[in-house]
Amino acid sequence: MAIQGIDFAKLSLMDALDLAILVEDEAQERYEEFAAQMDQHRTPQAAQFFRYMVENEAKHGRELLARRVQRFGDAPRSVTRAMIFDVEAPDYDAARAFMSPRKAMEAALASEVKAHSFFVSALPSLKDAEVRALFEELRDEEIEHQELVKIELAKLPPDSGLSDEDFVDEPAAQ
Amino acid sequence: MSATGTCEYQPKDYKSDLKPIWCPGCGDFSVVQGIYRALAAIGRPPHEIAFVSGIGCSSRIPGYTTAYGFNSVHGRALPIAQGIKLANPDLLVLAAGGDGDGFSIGGGHIAHLIRRNMDITYIVMDNQIYGLTKGQLSPTSQKGRTTCTSRYGSLEEPVNPLLYVLAYGAGFVAQASPTDLVGMAATIEEAIRYPGFAFVNIQSPCVTYGEEAQQIKGLKAISESLQSLGHNPADRLAAMDLAQQYGNKLHLGVFYRNPEPPPTYGDLVKERQTLLSKDAPPKERILDLFIKK
Repeated sequence: MAIQGIDFAKLSLMDALDLAILVEDEAQERYEEFAAQMDQHRTPQAAQFFRYMVENEAKHGRELLARRVQRFGDAPRSVTRAMIFDVEAPDYDAARAFMSPRKAMEAALASEVKAHSFFVSALPSLKDAEVRALFEELRDEEIEHQELVKIELAKLPPDSGLSDEDFVDEPAAQ
Repeated sequence: MSATGTCEYQPKDYKSDLKPIWCPGCGDFSVVQGIYRALAAIGRPPHEIAFVSGIGCSSRIPGYTTAYGFNSVHGRALPIAQGIKLANPDLLVLAAGGDGDGFSIGGGHIAHLIRRNMDITYIVMDNQIYGLTKGQLSPTSQKGRTTCTSRYGSLEEPVNPLLYVLAYGAGFVAQASPTDLVGMAATIEEAIRYPGFAFVNIQSPCVTYGEEAQQIKGLKAISESLQSLGHNPADRLAAMDLAQQYGNKLHLGVFYRNPEPPPTYGDLVKERQTLLSKDAPPKERILDLFIKK
C-alpha cells in the first residue's frame, strides 16, 4: 500500500471524497483483472467471486461519487490515481493460477483489512472535522465489507486441507 | 483536454484490450501498470511510441499497450529498436524483455547501444529464470540454483545486469520492483526522460518457477531505496559499488544518471547529415550515383 503526494493534514472534504472514489476504482479494476486472469486459467469459481467483488466496489464507488457530485458538482479533481497504489486493491501477487474460492475470498478479506488499516492510520493526521467523519465512516464500512466476505467464506464447504498447489502439474523439462 | 488546451493522458489510455496471459501473481502485471503510469506522466500519444521486445513471458508486454508494438525475435529487441529510432527519430522508443533475452541471447547488443548512446529506454524484467520454457537456468540465476534441468545446482556465477551496463558506460541505470509501483513508475518516467540510453532492471518475480526468496515478500525484506541511503546518482563509482550487492540487496531507484549526457547517436547522425547535405545531390538524383555514365 502506498500513498504519494497527499498531505492528510490539508485534505479537504472534496479531495477526501475523490481519494475514496479512486481507492474504490483501483480495487474494482484489480478485481476485474483478477477475474480475467482466472478466466484465462480456467478457474471459474474464483473468477465468479472476483466479479462479485467488482460489483461491490463499483456500488460503493457510485455511492461516493453521488455524494461528491451532490456536494461539489464537477469541480476539478486534484487527487489522481498516480497518488495511490494498492490501498484496497488486492496485491497483484495475491492471485494464483487455479486458486480455490477459499483462497480468492481470503485474498479479498486481506484487502479489506488493508483498507481498514489505511483509514485507521490516516485518522490521526486529519485536521478537518468533516474529513475525519468521512474517514471514520469509511473505516467502519471496511469492517462491514470484511463481514460480507466472511459470510461468503462461511458458505463454503469445510477446507479439505489440500493446497491449491497439489492440483498443479509439476514443472517439466522441455 | 486540459484548461491550457493540451491533451492529458491517463494510464488507461496506454492499456490495450488484449488480456495478459501471464500466470496470476506474476510481477509483470505490476510492471505493465508502472509503464502505463510513466507513459501518462510523459504525455506522448500512443501513436508516437514504439515498443519493441524479444521473446519470453515479459516480452509479451508491448501487446498490452496501445503503443506501436513489435514482439520480435529472441534477444533482438535492441537492434530492432535501434533501427526504428534511426528511421524515425521523433518516436519515443522503448525496448523490453527478460533477463535471458537481454543478457544471454541478446547480451552482445547492449554494449553497442550504450556506446552509441541510442535514445532508447530498455526495461528488463529480471526474474532469474526462463519461465516461458518451464524453468531453466537464466544468466541471472544464482549459483547453486536447482531447476528441472539443473538438478545438482548451477555451477555458474550470475551476470550482474547493473554492473554490466554501468561498466559499458550507460548514462542512466536504475532498478525497480513491483514492491513499489509508485517508485517503479517514477523510475521508468525518469529513464524515458533521460536523453540517451537508459536501463531499468526490474526485479519481477516468477510465481511459478521463482524461488521463495525472490517473491514479493522476499524482495520486500531485502529492498532499500537508494535515496534513503543518501546515494548521489551522479557518482558513477558509488553506483558501481552499490551495484555489486545485486542478488543480496535490492536497491531501488537511480544508481547512475550522467549529469552531462553526451550527444545521442541520433544527434550525431543529424549533425553529419546536415554537414554532408550541402554537397548531396537531390534525393531524386541519388540513383544516378550508382549508374555509370
